[in-house]
Amino acid sequence: MGTDNDSRLSQFRKGVVELAILALLHGGEAYGGEIVERLGDHPGLAISAGTVYPLLSRLKKSGVIDSVWRESPVGPPRKYYRLSPTGDAEFDEMAHAWDGVTEAMDELLRKEGSR
Amino acid sequence: MNSREMQPATGLTPEAMDLIETYFTRVHGALLIAAAGVCEDAVDELREHVLEQLARGAGTPADVTRVLAELGTPEALAARYAEAEAPGGSSDVAPDRSHGTLLGMPYDVRVPSSDRIASRWWDPMDARVFVPRVFGIGWDINFGALAVKVHLMRPDDEDVPFAAVPRAVVTAALAVPLLLSVALLTVMALLWPALPSSVPAHWDVVGRADQFWDRGWLVGFLAVMSLAPLAFAVVVHVRSRAPLNRVAATALSTLTGTLALSQFVQAYLYVQGDQGITPTFVGLGLALALPFLMFVLLSRVGRAAEQRRDLHDTTKKESV
Repeated sequence: MGTDNDSRLSQFRKGVVELAILALLHGGEAYGGEIVERLGDHPGLAISAGTVYPLLSRLKKSGVIDSVWRESPVGPPRKYYRLSPTGDAEFDEMAHAWDGVTEAMDELLRKEGSR
Repeated sequence: MNSREMQPATGLTPEAMDLIETYFTRVHGALLIAAAGVCEDAVDELREHVLEQLARGAGTPADVTRVLAELGTPEALAARYAEAEAPGGSSDVAPDRSHGTLLGMPYDVRVPSSDRIASRWWDPMDARVFVPRVFGIGWDINFGALAVKVHLMRPDDEDVPFAAVPRAVVTAALAVPLLLSVALLTVMALLWPALPSSVPAHWDVVGRADQFWDRGWLVGFLAVMSLAPLAFAVVVHVRSRAPLNRVAATALSTLTGTLALSQFVQAYLYVQGDQGITPTFVGLGLALALPFLMFVLLSRVGRAAEQRRDLHDTTKKESV
């Protein structure tokens, strides 16, 4: 039963993580480790490097984000990610849809949920 | 199915009923084709819901068409049912028992393809070091995850594995398994006269030979073990498969080539009176270390190529 619940939770988190990455990159470019770390600050998302990197690769392949190597002041060069123009548009659209979803869900959970 | 006979109470015209029947027959048909083990009851429930909805209005054929249009085409509806049934969202909807889990162990008996070998052996983005085996039961090593774990690289060092590595370098790596095969054939040819007709082919845990083969069989077996994967790798290169596939095929033939060579050395030393199975262990170690080194070195070459491209450009643009 517990594992069933876990997989259901991870199922809907997966959809959210994509938007979370886009939101983070909307605020400016970031490198992989930084993205993992900053999303890790939100335990509710339960994101690990194992989720972030494959997603970055997929987003890059679909042209939503770009990557570029940059010199790092502290160590070896790092690969930075940023939203492409398509990604900007996609983020606006997804963020808008998300507002609609959260509003509806908040209402449903408040009204119908017993908590 | 007797629910269908209970329907006349809805007051729909026969024409309207026909439309509904046709629609749901097509839904059932599409579900059969998708081989989705969807509970037929779920679809029947939807049918009831549609009938109820129509009973509230005039129930004309036009109403029916409108309500059914809201549900989408029967095929699209069936696809949504199939998807809900298998939340993995995988594209192969048909039940496929050629791979899965058995007593907690992953198994896969599909014919290995260079794509599948490649993505299992080198996927630095996947954090799992042990991944379901390409062929057989158990796990394979994801050398990419291992390289990340021991901090030899970052998961996203290369956009597409080995894509930025110069083609000549990827091809040149084939020299490693080629040399291993040549070495094996040479050693076997040179030492053939020194072999007794029956040679050890298997050792127990304490290093005592417990299986003996005819020397011809052993030499033939080891030659195939070394040459067949090499031939496979050459085909993958000649066919210009994805760089990752080419590198993985080279790594695979390096692994089998090393094992074959070490097994022959083991057998030879044993018949020379050198007890112990050190060569087997050295062979096993090298059979894993050499492909790992090959993957990591080539990935470094790819990363360096990407960095040259980007850092060169940005210094031009940003050094004011």
